Amino acid sequence: MKFKKFSGVVGLMTVVSLALAGCGASSSEAVNTKDDGKLITVDVFDSRANYQGIQKGWAAKIFKDKFNVKLNIIAPNVAGGGETLFDTRSAAGNLGDIVITTTGGGRMKKLVKAGLISDMTPYLKGMDNIKKFKKSSDALAKIAGKNGVWGLGMGVSTSSPTKPSEGVEPQDEPYIRWDYYREAGYPEIKDMDQFLDVLKQMQDIARKDQKDDKVYAISMFKDWDGSGMAFVQHMAAWFGYANQGSAFLKADGTDEQTVLTKDGIYQKILAWLHKAQTMGLVDPDSSSQNWDKLHDKVTNGKVLLSPFSFLGKPSFNSGERKAKGVGFALAPLQTMRPYSQGFINEGDLSYFIGIGSKAKNKQRLVKIINWLYSPEGVYASSNGTTAGPKGLTWEMKDGQPVLSEFGEKVQFASEGVEVPAQWGGGIYADGICALNFPTIAPNDIDPETKQTYNSFLWPSELKKTNPLLSDWSKHMDGAKTEFEYLNKHKMVMVQAGVPYSAPEENSAQSARRTQINSAVIAASWKAALANSQSEFDKEIKEMTTKADGFGFKDIQKFDYAAINEHMAMSKKVAEAAK
Amino acid sequence: MALKHGSRKGSGETGSSTVAVAAPRTQMSVLQAAMAATAQPDESALNANDPKQGSNLGKKKGWTPDKRHGFMMWLMTVPFLILVVLFAYYPLFGWVYAFYDYQPPVPLSESEFVGFQWFHMLWSNPTQLKTIGQVLLNTFGISGLGILTSFFPVAFAIALNEIRSKWFRNIIQTLTTLPNFISWVLVYAIAFALFSSSGMVNTVLQDLHFISKPVRFLDSGEHIWIKMLLWSTWKGLGWGAILYLAALSGIDPELYEAAQVDGANRWQQTIHITIPQLMPTYIVLLMLSVSNFLNNGMDQYFVFQNAFNQEHIQVLDLYVYNIGMGNNSLSLATAISMLKSLVSVVLLWLVNTLAKRVRGTSIF
Repeated sequence: MKFKKFSGVVGLMTVVSLALAGCGASSSEAVNTKDDGKLITVDVFDSRANYQGIQKGWAAKIFKDKFNVKLNIIAPNVAGGGETLFDTRSAAGNLGDIVITTTGGGRMKKLVKAGLISDMTPYLKGMDNIKKFKKSSDALAKIAGKNGVWGLGMGVSTSSPTKPSEGVEPQDEPYIRWDYYREAGYPEIKDMDQFLDVLKQMQDIARKDQKDDKVYAISMFKDWDGSGMAFVQHMAAWFGYANQGSAFLKADGTDEQTVLTKDGIYQKILAWLHKAQTMGLVDPDSSSQNWDKLHDKVTNGKVLLSPFSFLGKPSFNSGERKAKGVGFALAPLQTMRPYSQGFINEGDLSYFIGIGSKAKNKQRLVKIINWLYSPEGVYASSNGTTAGPKGLTWEMKDGQPVLSEFGEKVQFASEGVEVPAQWGGGIYADGICALNFPTIAPNDIDPETKQTYNSFLWPSELKKTNPLLSDWSKHMDGAKTEFEYLNKHKMVMVQAGVPYSAPEENSAQSARRTQINSAVIAASWKAALANSQSEFDKEIKEMTTKADGFGFKDIQKFDYAAINEHMAMSKKVAEAAK
Repeated sequence: MALKHGSRKGSGETGSSTVAVAAPRTQMSVLQAAMAATAQPDESALNANDPKQGSNLGKKKGWTPDKRHGFMMWLMTVPFLILVVLFAYYPLFGWVYAFYDYQPPVPLSESEFVGFQWFHMLWSNPTQLKTIGQVLLNTFGISGLGILTSFFPVAFAIALNEIRSKWFRNIIQTLTTLPNFISWVLVYAIAFALFSSSGMVNTVLQDLHFISKPVRFLDSGEHIWIKMLLWSTWKGLGWGAILYLAALSGIDPELYEAAQVDGANRWQQTIHITIPQLMPTYIVLLMLSVSNFLNNGMDQYFVFQNAFNQEHIQVLDLYVYNIGMGNNSLSLATAISMLKSLVSVVLLWLVNTLAKRVRGTSIF
């Protein structure tokens, strides 16, 4: 009996220790056995994805039919907690089979150093698309500090680096509710101050029209705040300033500033927002709402200004509204000089796609990446920015690509559109490829159709018009697209496209940067939503004192060095393109 | 309930304390009594079960039955010791990260050893020092308010106990305990729906024309400690009262009967019997909460934090999280949390000594 007890105790101990041992890391070295072509689930660690789980719908069917794989997307954006998922997975030694993540701040170097990314060189036989963009893999290897084909950048292209890469419109410029602007009598917008008056008029009209006092001209959100208020940083691009870290660089290289520069672009825009706030134009929810909430408000017509192309137009301008002449359109702000990024031949190397070192069946994975960089792969995988898969959303007619009836339906307000059974069925929007990684720039030329991958620039699409567009066009010197208007007025500032990856900084510096960023963000919000001028001045002063105290000089030096290097490269490329 | 039950059993068997006797020395804490019950059960009782085998083995190994029995008992605690070592001491190994420049995915073995660089950084410049000072102030402020109001659950439990109608008492208890099981994220969702600038409260006030501009309940740094205290009280009051309700039910009815014979009214009974009887439980919980002074959790403050209140809401745990997880500075975050452990140990020691001096009882 005693012995029984004793053995019971020992047994319990063993069970406990075994159970705990299970908590430890099990190291399973991947053995690269021969690929038997069976259905495999590919884990994709994807820092850009906004969907987590197994890829669904028609895109899943394409991957299954072509490669017999299921994609299991692991998305830090969905999981939340910042870099936690990356840290834990990389500390465990296996990020995923396919890895899509950032390269900046020395991450690429660390990934290669820690052996988490595998060199694709042995698998490149017959992989023509990967070889075609050797410039990109070479530039990536330079960032990694070790020779090899570690992956490819995002949005590679073959077009000229001095040509704007954005298609019909730059990313950041002022879009306003054109219908209320029309009701206000198309007033002139000479500068930002006058812009406020116009917005005020529009807000008054909108409130009366909708019988709702909660319509605001300006509504902001905080989700993307990094080195400052993201909303302000985007607005800085209206005037040709691109931000990198805490610094701002004018696209033509004539000016450099930081968030702390007195009366610099960042603080000027803060002051403008503060003025708007005192005029009652700013949504009081701004500091607490997230993107989804703002998106809802815009869709429901409660917001009148969209500072970027991807908010107002796509969420509000449905076909039905446009037919009534209602919708967002570019405001004729005379002082704007929107920043535009030229095509980058090497691709935007701030993100890359590569293969995890612990992956099995690497040859098949390389084949998948190779296919993603083919025209067929681009149409199938980069939805939202390209036309979609050929045969489903578009077809060739008289040597020109033309959207099919189905394609037109899913372009705007695609909610609930069913996909034909032979494409796998289901709702179109649910089946969109979740990788969110445009391999080739969407506005690059498809060698097969001789037109862009993006349907907006097809001649067949540019021919189409609607009451909103024709009214806008009438008041914008007959322009058909935003770029046409901006070019006519020589407003666009193009920075020649060069690959850029934020340089590595030591961890003491990044610790300092975190604290500076959080001080800057907090003070910026408080300043923008301040109730009086003195309060605004106090917050700006506090921002400067705090950031300086944490060692801003150091960060500024570092950021200036980085933007100067970037600019030097841009200028070299621009020279060469001439 | 279980704890109280354990204490009774423990006191019965070890004979070291009886709950009904109100002498200070024998007023063993609930926790201590419970521990006594698990760790030292009556030895003679077990031996009496199987005296033969015990003495046989004892002879063979030259062990007295007592020693052998002690060993067996020790073996029974081993699984728990292992758990303690694994989950309380083994993680201390992680402190080593504070002395390296650790940047995942590069493993620790390849990271650079930087000595006390991170600790140095904490007081390297006045702004940093000021920030840490503010963070500590917030932590002490919010925790301090929590301790100052730690008698709320006692009062609530006593009040609840005085309610005669059973169904009414049950309803109140359920309603006040329920919020404890709502996660802070959901609490914030409720707070947002009620108090955001377009929330219910502001809308109602505006519709009634009491205010023209929405009041910033959530996005302002004013009175944030009090606001946080109110939220945590709303969430934790009912739950906190449960232990006291258990202790209340354990008070010997004879005491009340004796008091009634002496002509004490209900109020006097509460003052002279109920409260003194609850004190031991209260003191133990108070001590534990003081040692947890710096551990005031981060989820509550994490969900409520925004640019406007960050300065006053950032408690130590949240600060560590913001630094460590927000920007990968895991080494710096480790260094800060090491300091936290140090302060916690000192605080526990202080309170323990104080309790020993004042009341003659202590946790250890």
